[in-house]
Amino acid sequence: MNTEIPSHGQPIDRFAAAISGEVYESVHSSSAIKSDKRQALLAGDYPNPKHLREIAGQIKQHTLESLDKYLPQAVESLERNGVRVHFAANGEEARQIIGSLLAARGAKKVVKSKSMATEEIHLNDYLAANGVDCIETDLGEFIVQIDGDHPSHIVTPIIHKNRRQIAKSFEKHGLGAYNDDPETITRRARKFMRDKYMSADAGITGANFVVAETGRLVLVTNEGNSRFSLAAPKLHIALVGIEKLVPSDRDLSVFLNLLVRSATGQQFTAYTEFISGPHASGQPSGPEEMHVVFLDNGRSDILAGDCREILRCIRCGACLNICPVYRQASGHAYRSVYPGPIGAVLSPLLAGEKFPSLADLPKASSLCGACNDACPVNIPIPDLLLRLRDKGKREHAPLASRGVPPMGGFAGLASQPALWKGALLAGHVMNYFPVEWVPVPPLSKWTAQRTLPEFRGGEFRKWWKQRRQR
Amino acid sequence: MATCLCDAFFDDVARATVEVLEYLGCEVEFPEGQTCCGQPAFNSGDWPAARKVLRHLVDTFKGGEPIIVPSGSCAAMLYHGSLLAFEHETDLPEVEKVGQRTWEVLDFIVSGLGVKQWEGACEKKMAFHSSCHLRGSNSAEAARLLLGSLRGAEILPFKEQEQCCGFGGTFSVSFPAISADMGLLKLQNIREVKPDLLVAADMSCLMHLRGLSEKQGNPVPVRHAIQVLRDALVAEGKLR
Amino acid sequence: MSSKQQILNKVRQALSDKQNRAPYPVYDTAEYVAKPRVEGGSAEQVFRRNFAAVHGIVVGDFEELKAVLAKQPLKKGCCDPALTAKLQGLHIEWESEFNRNKFDEYDIGVTFASGAVAETGSLMLKDRATADRLSALAPWVHVAVLKRSEIYLTLPEALQRLGDDPNVILVTGPSKTADVEGILIEGVHGPGVQIAWLVD
Repeated sequence: MNTEIPSHGQPIDRFAAAISGEVYESVHSSSAIKSDKRQALLAGDYPNPKHLREIAGQIKQHTLESLDKYLPQAVESLERNGVRVHFAANGEEARQIIGSLLAARGAKKVVKSKSMATEEIHLNDYLAANGVDCIETDLGEFIVQIDGDHPSHIVTPIIHKNRRQIAKSFEKHGLGAYNDDPETITRRARKFMRDKYMSADAGITGANFVVAETGRLVLVTNEGNSRFSLAAPKLHIALVGIEKLVPSDRDLSVFLNLLVRSATGQQFTAYTEFISGPHASGQPSGPEEMHVVFLDNGRSDILAGDCREILRCIRCGACLNICPVYRQASGHAYRSVYPGPIGAVLSPLLAGEKFPSLADLPKASSLCGACNDACPVNIPIPDLLLRLRDKGKREHAPLASRGVPPMGGFAGLASQPALWKGALLAGHVMNYFPVEWVPVPPLSKWTAQRTLPEFRGGEFRKWWKQRRQR
Repeated sequence: MATCLCDAFFDDVARATVEVLEYLGCEVEFPEGQTCCGQPAFNSGDWPAARKVLRHLVDTFKGGEPIIVPSGSCAAMLYHGSLLAFEHETDLPEVEKVGQRTWEVLDFIVSGLGVKQWEGACEKKMAFHSSCHLRGSNSAEAARLLLGSLRGAEILPFKEQEQCCGFGGTFSVSFPAISADMGLLKLQNIREVKPDLLVAADMSCLMHLRGLSEKQGNPVPVRHAIQVLRDALVAEGKLR
Repeated sequence: MSSKQQILNKVRQALSDKQNRAPYPVYDTAEYVAKPRVEGGSAEQVFRRNFAAVHGIVVGDFEELKAVLAKQPLKKGCCDPALTAKLQGLHIEWESEFNRNKFDEYDIGVTFASGAVAETGSLMLKDRATADRLSALAPWVHVAVLKRSEIYLTLPEALQRLGDDPNVILVTGPSKTADVEGILIEGVHGPGVQIAWLVD
């Protein structure tokens, strides 16, 4: 992933200014279409979608704030179901656990179903370095993998690519002569992948939800790739963030309905799997052995802080699709696994001690609040962005302050009415005002594309006085 | 509360607010010590500076009367943002009280005063930009209701209506490229439906869109909703 | 200390100063049922409509099944042993065990469904009732044999029927993707044709 930071300006703004028209078009149109579908579907199906989002948020918040109860309960339920449970404090430990589970069965060939948690710990690179052949089976993730690229969206990883680019990659990697017909591309991937599934020793997945009460792991996909990854191989390893729990089966109707509508604008995914252990006795296919690796990797620290609401996230990507900044900048601008509004909060937090290296992300928002309106679990993303801006300033992270006008002078002026009024009348306000209203250097960037209105400081006060005197 | 933008640039919007409220029978006060809501500092992450400004605001607006603001953004700062900034402060209750008294002016007219219809005419096709900080309040519906009730008025729907204009205060300075592109996209979507007038309930958005379009050499005519309502009363001879 | 203990301790500590923990909200799962999708007839009628909406095909008897399958070039199939007798006369060479070495030769798989969800237009397949997961997945055409009496109207009702089967899957139409420019393509890794065969 490109983590280079330009020497001046906002990295995300610079990135956005440099992306090609082709990428902008792909990202903007696809995001806008999906946002519209989501809104139309929710409004058509429910009289009050906002209320449903609020309830979902409350269930998640409750689960998080009782994680000390639900996490041990989930472990107990999973073990009762015959699942072996592991805990990884960080990415390094998670990679090692997965590596040794594979080694124990001599597994050299792995099929992987799309999972953000495995992206987060950069599992593919680790497995490749350890001689394990790991193939991404989701079409979008597969294309990202053969391109040596990174997903730019948490649900639609190749939102930044068009069919011509994909056709070129397929041609380059021996998947047939150039053909940019989406159906042909899909059929070629189908053909290529089938041998991989059938010869794989293990399937690795994430989980959309884990039910604490029953130990059910829920996976939603459309392509059938996770089902295949769990039909042919004999070993199943699931990497799951500790925040993925929900209390009971009944809550799944809340989350499945909202997740799918929010993520893809469908009412339900083609495949919704409820897995509570290795295959049934008598079932010839499916894993004989199942492991769940619970991943902390900074989550318990987030739980302890004042941004814990971010852990409600169910990774639907609706906030990316609706975000005007994401639509302009695309996902790679965020220099992290999680892009968009959710990423602008989650990535700096997950970075832990490396927070300063991503301290500019929370600024990449006009605080318009569209993300909060779209979020199926009602995460107050703008509030969390603001909290992280405050944190960045308090901790003197250079990227937090870069390009942001200092506010000390303004605050002094705005808390002393005599000075304020004097400044308004004398026009001296120009020297202290927040720069977006002042024609001095940082503002030259503003005025390069915009005019300023006529300065009329004190005019209202004059009118008011005259009116009172009458 | 006039807001610092109206104090410095858009005096006629503050004036229209006073005139409309007085027409509706309200007694309007203008505490002269007022300055700003503190949002620029708050959004920049300089919360100590924001608290300093807000404490001054709390001092200036003592009493129990409703505080009316011709800006959804400044209003939201008082009833929402300030609570975050004062979360761990002992004077949170005073700040909270100010927030509870605060109304965006159109929301106040409709929900506070119960006015559901407006007198007069505005024979224009309007594009109404629902400014982002009206989210979570009734202001956007209130504005649409009142504007739509004017004789001859037509409110045109346009593409990607819920999208931000790209201003975002200091955001437009820190992120000049993204901010301008957001604004230009908004203008493009608005121009597509060929309105006579672009209306909003926040001068910050209108300043941004007007500024961008003027630089393009094709300025869109803009008006705050409260000005449209005031102008209708003047045309009817109800106001001088 | 093991990572498990460490993480559980950290979680406990993270919440230790939390005085008023967010309560579990009072709600009714019925609020999450999409009313417009479950209206207009019996569970079967609703299922038929919603399964068709996700491009699934419902057949009500053998003759109908025969007609639908006649449109597909089908040579070899794999079916649940209990169904072999019922599937004669289709000009398909049936095997009652899925042979992994010949996985690409099967054009069609026939297995039992354990229920359906009318609201979402989904078939419910359970591990214990499915002869082989691969039969329901690898061939281009999958036929699920569904008892009319096991069609549940809403998703919350169906979720109460998950039971103790280690693997339950809701199949909502053919497998699909929209990864390439958002264009919907059916038949990615799983079946491109998904049929529900209703029986009494």
